[in-house]
Amino acid sequence: MKKVLTTCPYCGTGCCFYLVVGDDGRLVGVEPSTEHVVSKGQVCVKGWNAHHFVNHPDRLTQPLIRRNGQLEPASWDEALDLVVTRLKETQAEHGTDSVAFFSSAKTTNEENYLMMKLARAVFKTNNVDHCARLCHSSTVVGLAGTFGSGAMTNSISCMEEADCILVTGSNTTEQHPLIGSRIIRNVVENGAKLIVADNRKIRLARIADLHIRCRNGTDVAFLNGIMNVIISEELEDKEFVRKRTENFEELKKVMADYPPAKAAEICGITAEEIVQVARMFASAKKAMIIYSMGITQHTHGVDNVKSCANLVMLTGNLGRSGTGVNPLRGQNNVQGACDMGALPNVYTGYQKVTEPAIREKFEKAWDVENLPGEIGYTVTTAIDAAAEGRLKALYIMGENPMMSDPDQNHVREALEKLDFLVVQDIFPTPTSEFADVVLPAASYAEKDGTFTSTERRVQRVRKAIEPVGQARADWEIFCDIAIRAGYPMNYASAVEIMDEIASVTPIYGGMFYDRIDQVGLQWPCIDRDHPGTPVLHVGKFSRGLGLFSPAEYRPSVELPDDEYPFVLSTGRCYWHFHTGTMTRRSRILDREERFPYVEISPKDAESLGLRDRQWIYVSTRRGEVKATARVTDVMKDGVLFMPFHFEEGPANRLTINALDPVAKIPEYKVCAARIKSAE
Amino acid sequence: MRGQDKECRVKALTSQELAASFQSLQSDYDVLVPIHIHDGTRALAKPGDGPLALAGGAVPQKITNAFFPQMQRVLEIGKDDAADEGASRPILVVGLTAPDADALEFLDRFFSTEFRDDLYFSLRDGSVVVCVSGRCGRDGEFLKIAGSRCDLELICDGQKYLVVGYTDAGKNIAEKLIGGVEVDDSALSELQRESDALPTDDADLIQAAAAIVQKDLVTDDFWARIADRCIACTSCNLVCPTCSCFEVYDRVAETGTVERWRMWDSCQLDGFMREASGHNPMGDESIRTRRRIHHKLAADPARWDQITCMVCGRCDDVCPTGIGMKTVCREILAEYGNAK
Repeated sequence: MKKVLTTCPYCGTGCCFYLVVGDDGRLVGVEPSTEHVVSKGQVCVKGWNAHHFVNHPDRLTQPLIRRNGQLEPASWDEALDLVVTRLKETQAEHGTDSVAFFSSAKTTNEENYLMMKLARAVFKTNNVDHCARLCHSSTVVGLAGTFGSGAMTNSISCMEEADCILVTGSNTTEQHPLIGSRIIRNVVENGAKLIVADNRKIRLARIADLHIRCRNGTDVAFLNGIMNVIISEELEDKEFVRKRTENFEELKKVMADYPPAKAAEICGITAEEIVQVARMFASAKKAMIIYSMGITQHTHGVDNVKSCANLVMLTGNLGRSGTGVNPLRGQNNVQGACDMGALPNVYTGYQKVTEPAIREKFEKAWDVENLPGEIGYTVTTAIDAAAEGRLKALYIMGENPMMSDPDQNHVREALEKLDFLVVQDIFPTPTSEFADVVLPAASYAEKDGTFTSTERRVQRVRKAIEPVGQARADWEIFCDIAIRAGYPMNYASAVEIMDEIASVTPIYGGMFYDRIDQVGLQWPCIDRDHPGTPVLHVGKFSRGLGLFSPAEYRPSVELPDDEYPFVLSTGRCYWHFHTGTMTRRSRILDREERFPYVEISPKDAESLGLRDRQWIYVSTRRGEVKATARVTDVMKDGVLFMPFHFEEGPANRLTINALDPVAKIPEYKVCAARIKSAE
Repeated sequence: MRGQDKECRVKALTSQELAASFQSLQSDYDVLVPIHIHDGTRALAKPGDGPLALAGGAVPQKITNAFFPQMQRVLEIGKDDAADEGASRPILVVGLTAPDADALEFLDRFFSTEFRDDLYFSLRDGSVVVCVSGRCGRDGEFLKIAGSRCDLELICDGQKYLVVGYTDAGKNIAEKLIGGVEVDDSALSELQRESDALPTDDADLIQAAAAIVQKDLVTDDFWARIADRCIACTSCNLVCPTCSCFEVYDRVAETGTVERWRMWDSCQLDGFMREASGHNPMGDESIRTRRRIHHKLAADPARWDQITCMVCGRCDDVCPTGIGMKTVCREILAEYGNAK
């Protein structure tokens, strides 16, 4: 038996625990680290079960190549040769940008860096993106625009210090349990004020001082209404506004159009509720906003994020501990995948591909010429391009767009149209069913590297066991692909990759394995002596002055009507993670939620004659899904909620492929749906 | 000192000497000792996997997992060579506190009553259990002397560990400990007096709360309020040394081999007691919260004649939202303490 310290592969909280390795080289348990600043000896239920899927018999253990329509076992040499040959042929025939790469928020920083490097240095395309597009691209754009840095401003420990916390669009106790628990303790034990703005009656709502249940998609009107009250009652932090921000006059002008009565009408709440929220938030010494997908996954996601930033700047809640705009990143390394430049417009550390000097820097570092300067496809626009025949080949690492992207039938059509699809993953998925080549990857427990948590903390992932079968670490696979494509990519270990990352990435300049051995460091960390940065924007914003960026309310794209009378909102449940590939192969977690389900309010269920656990059909203009009804007072009348974990009842067959115009994030939180009994 | 020979000299070893001894015992035993692993977390591991960490009180994970681990293979079907597992050495586990010894005693009862749990006793039989007590608790706290419920005890006088063997197996190990000096056993008597004089606040708290729970004075709204603060992480169960529930599942490989495993379960989960129909007699989180407390303080006393919370403190340490046993008992007393 041995115990190996590593970082949890689920949400972005970044808990650290030990994997317990049995004498036969398989994982047999988890023990939380008592010394880690976030874990403090604790983990959530997914953490306790994070060992379980690793040795599941379904693991991909050998490369597969499609022959005569069937995926058949092949050697690594055959599979890698085929990948390189077909990608090169595709580019020769259809142009450099006819291929695209989907990187992965599940894999390490080192692997994201190498996939980005493979796309840009070897295949000369900026068509590289990953699923941050689907969760927090609006945050990256929105906060970069207002503050100059698109990440969580504060640290998880700040949740314990705030006097007032506004949680909006985050079911924190379920999706970031060890952050949610800090909120609970701060409220129960310290008497901090809690405002929950979420139309589901989530657990935090039970202990909240105010629970505001707005109509889905009316966040901008709600936040503008709050700011209207703060400005009209002169509750703003005048000194902060004067010294630290710009464009306040424009904010005032736009907010003047959102008196509480008008905002309340849009939101479906009372004016009094808006006034209460405004006064409670503005009167706190240390107030913060915590948000997640309920803010970002809208066609106005960037506007939502900017409005959150506006409110926090207006009340002077930035650059201090216990305050801030705190978007919670949903995956173990979604922050890191963004930091590593697995995005179509930037290299590592958000260095723009459109700037010649930056390209030149990377050309020199990578010893290549002619790095592309055009911004590439996003995850969402790449699928559109494939469906339209503009994109011909796609290389996907550790993502499952058939389950995670909006409008599954559209995704299917796109994948079917591709000339060549490579899927590199740990389990077979609905996406790998379309693959021409499947490459078996090592899981998080079988390789070394780093993940970057939601609080910008870069921390170690360690190899606890040997990869199953012939599986290999993603970074090793990329090295072989690059070499076959004629580019020397040689690293003896993950540490060498991080050393290279540090050398080309200012915000990671001080990230070295010896420094992050136990608790990690928070970026920006510019050199070996830099202590890391727990709180951003202290004294000065990354962009200099904070830019008030007022937004006008825009309704969601598809609202309920007579034909489709419900609002359908999608998301995750506590027990499962994303497309379910890992949690549905973890016994205890899978036992908790076995079937696709749809939450519906008791009143709506009664009016339709539906009972709890009954099978129903949910349909939208995109498709129909069979699921069980969950009748619960968590739901507001007129709204349905459905998690997207279940292959046999995929919520994303129903969602709409409508994108935020800037961030290209889909509107997962609002579309029109109807339901009927399936019995 | 109960169970101790009449000799008036007792062996005393330093932590370093004990570390060397535990290393050398590995040829005969599967030795598990508290050590500081990678980042300083205290955990049961093999000697040599890190510096010995005898001091500090209860190790964070339940010590009974030496005999009832998180995952354990029950049987295998269809494997060519079923008898591939060589004879294993007996387990020597070091680092139990007095409450841990109580918990292990209960778990032995539990797993041997009505039918004998072969899997548990395949590890427990022949094992040697070593308690650690005295002036080596967390933040200098004095750890209660466990006495003869263990095979051997290491009682810290603040500098060295006095070695007291209770059983033949324990005395045998004591003889194998290398180095040390002999000290007068009056030192032991002094430590015993200190142990006997320890306050019993925690145990009294649990007793008082148990009396209230047993009289069914705690109302449903209390459990609902506690449940509102529960995030169902299941940690309270997973670190509890008297929790014994497990789930059984089969791993079926493509090759046709089947492995049956058992793994820790938690009564805080909906799936714990859900019937195939979907009906669940414990389908409400406030009922599950009530069960967690009620089981230890009322149901077990009715069945086993003892409260099965040994007040080891682990659930209070591990609970992310601060609703471990001691906190809940304090809140029960605050709310119902004056009720008749």
